[in-house]
Amino acid sequence: MIAQTSAETVVIAPMLVALVSAVAALLAGRRRRVRSVVALGGVVGYAVAVGALAWTVVLAPDAPGIATYQVGGLAAPFGITLVADALSAFMLSMVATIALASIVFSRRYAAHSGSRTFYYPLCYFLLLGVTGSFLTGDLFNLFVWFEVMLMASYVFVAYYGGPQHTRAAFWYVALNLLASAVFLLGVGGIYAVTGTLNMADLARRLADPAAYGIDPVPVVGLFALLLSVFAIKAGLVPFQFWIPTAYRAAPPPITALLVGATKKVGIYAIVRLSFTVLAGAQIGVSLELPIPGLGVAGDSPLAFVGAALFVMAAASILVGGLGAVGRDSIEGVLAYSSIGQIGFIAIPVAIAATTTSSGLRQVAIVAALVYALNHTLAKGLLFLAVGAVRSATGTSRLAELGGLAGRSPPLAIAFFVGSLALVGIPPLSGFFGKFLVFDAAARAGSAPVLGLLLGGSLLTIAYATRVWNRSFWGARTPAVDEATVDPVQVAVVLALAGAILAVGVGFEPVYRFAELAAEAALDAEGYVEAVDPGGELE
Amino acid sequence: MTAFVLALVVGALFALGTFLLLRRDLIRVVWGLAIVSQAANVYLLAMGGIVEGGFETVPVLAGHGEGAPQTADPLVQALVLTAIVIGFGMTAFALVLSYRVYEEHDTLDASELGDRG
Repeated sequence: MIAQTSAETVVIAPMLVALVSAVAALLAGRRRRVRSVVALGGVVGYAVAVGALAWTVVLAPDAPGIATYQVGGLAAPFGITLVADALSAFMLSMVATIALASIVFSRRYAAHSGSRTFYYPLCYFLLLGVTGSFLTGDLFNLFVWFEVMLMASYVFVAYYGGPQHTRAAFWYVALNLLASAVFLLGVGGIYAVTGTLNMADLARRLADPAAYGIDPVPVVGLFALLLSVFAIKAGLVPFQFWIPTAYRAAPPPITALLVGATKKVGIYAIVRLSFTVLAGAQIGVSLELPIPGLGVAGDSPLAFVGAALFVMAAASILVGGLGAVGRDSIEGVLAYSSIGQIGFIAIPVAIAATTTSSGLRQVAIVAALVYALNHTLAKGLLFLAVGAVRSATGTSRLAELGGLAGRSPPLAIAFFVGSLALVGIPPLSGFFGKFLVFDAAARAGSAPVLGLLLGGSLLTIAYATRVWNRSFWGARTPAVDEATVDPVQVAVVLALAGAILAVGVGFEPVYRFAELAAEAALDAEGYVEAVDPGGELE
Repeated sequence: MTAFVLALVVGALFALGTFLLLRRDLIRVVWGLAIVSQAANVYLLAMGGIVEGGFETVPVLAGHGEGAPQTADPLVQALVLTAIVIGFGMTAFALVLSYRVYEEHDTLDASELGDRG
């Protein structure tokens, strides 16, 4: 047995809070008051637990920067290790913010007849899966947390049980079950090649394969399998097709959670496995890509990851942007927009993977993280605003909306702030996200990438303007005239708008946090040392 | 020999699963998913390697006749056990969901479901 200190216990705290809240919410059953108290208490407790983790592990003056928890007291690599470092803490803080907003917002949606008993428990199971994915230091355990997260999201996509919901859920389930099988193939192959599934142990073995008597070359191909699974979760082209139907079918507060948390798990897994685990491996890769400025041949598997990611990200920006311009409902626009925005997050990750300069690599990862934070806040806000519009007017079709700005000015202000953050107007958080991504691309010296980002940004302006003009301005339609806006929902949306403004105005500490997170992502040695997966060589 | 049979089985299961996945009937699609995930399980088991067993690796057989049979890596057995449980839950959910799809659409034919609602 290893004695667990309080600094170690804090690592598992967010997961425990989510699990206990899920069970408590199940026990609360149909009692309405108890249910609301549990729901609210759970997510506040979750935010506190995440805050405590971020503070004690990363942000406090004497923080260690990384902490581990050996589940069951079994030492790595045999037991399952939970690892909290700045990268995990950054992602968790992001998720806690959107979870708080989404669950407070859910009050009216959770009252939907028939399935209300299961709304909050599922929320917390979703949160548990996301939290576990961010904290685990074991590849197979990552698979398990993915499944926990997915299982809850399946039910949410089918939540309303109408024709389009069941159909969307069926294809969503089918796609993800297939992805799970592919994930297992990757995991099994990596175990066969390296003899371990502990991420720290993997990083150590791949960095010095000769000492462990392994041949690391197949890992590149096996990692490609994993990459495709993560790309499905993140919704990168060509794995984006499930997003519009699933996001339209799920209740809007849950869509905010899916876009803010589940998608980011995909990005996180790519960053963690590429830079912490795979970066140390010396495997010659040579791939020709007909785009100047991005070298894709190299002596690291990252060259391959970068090239693959770059193609997917570029396609995502184009497909998402062009798709969003022509949709006929606000959710449709936002769902396509989130495909494009994930492209904006993946571009700097691709730059970080292809570059050989460690300075640029860090700058690029910071850009990706800041952009991810902005996307979570802004897109979360916008999906919640759609939820507010839908519960007020009963529709989100652009043709049936108009003049919302006069009907509910606070809602309009919040939506406006969210749209501007998406476009990237200072002083909102979106400006820094866009700025850093452009900065990384400029430093990489790639004109085509800059052009692509510019084109994507122009498309963002086009569809954001179109949604604003069609739904908030113009003549009031009958649906808007009869609307009654829920004050709690508007308050939540306004609070998120405030958060976007606060992140933009007080950007310095957020940037420092992101910088620490990027350092943690790149510091494979520190990661291995903290986990300490057993001493002797075989 | 065992390795050869396993490779053959994994290949056959993946082929069958993929074939069923591409059918129009949703129930066949669910069957396909179930078979593909089983194929992944068999593959996972094979990836751990099959070794000559001894009483150290299979202590439960000690004192039950002569010798232990070939055994798979215990770690992948644990992984497969987890994967089977997850796969079972998912398949059950997919079956229930396909019944709900049938209730809502009065058909299980993928091409009649369309993609707009």
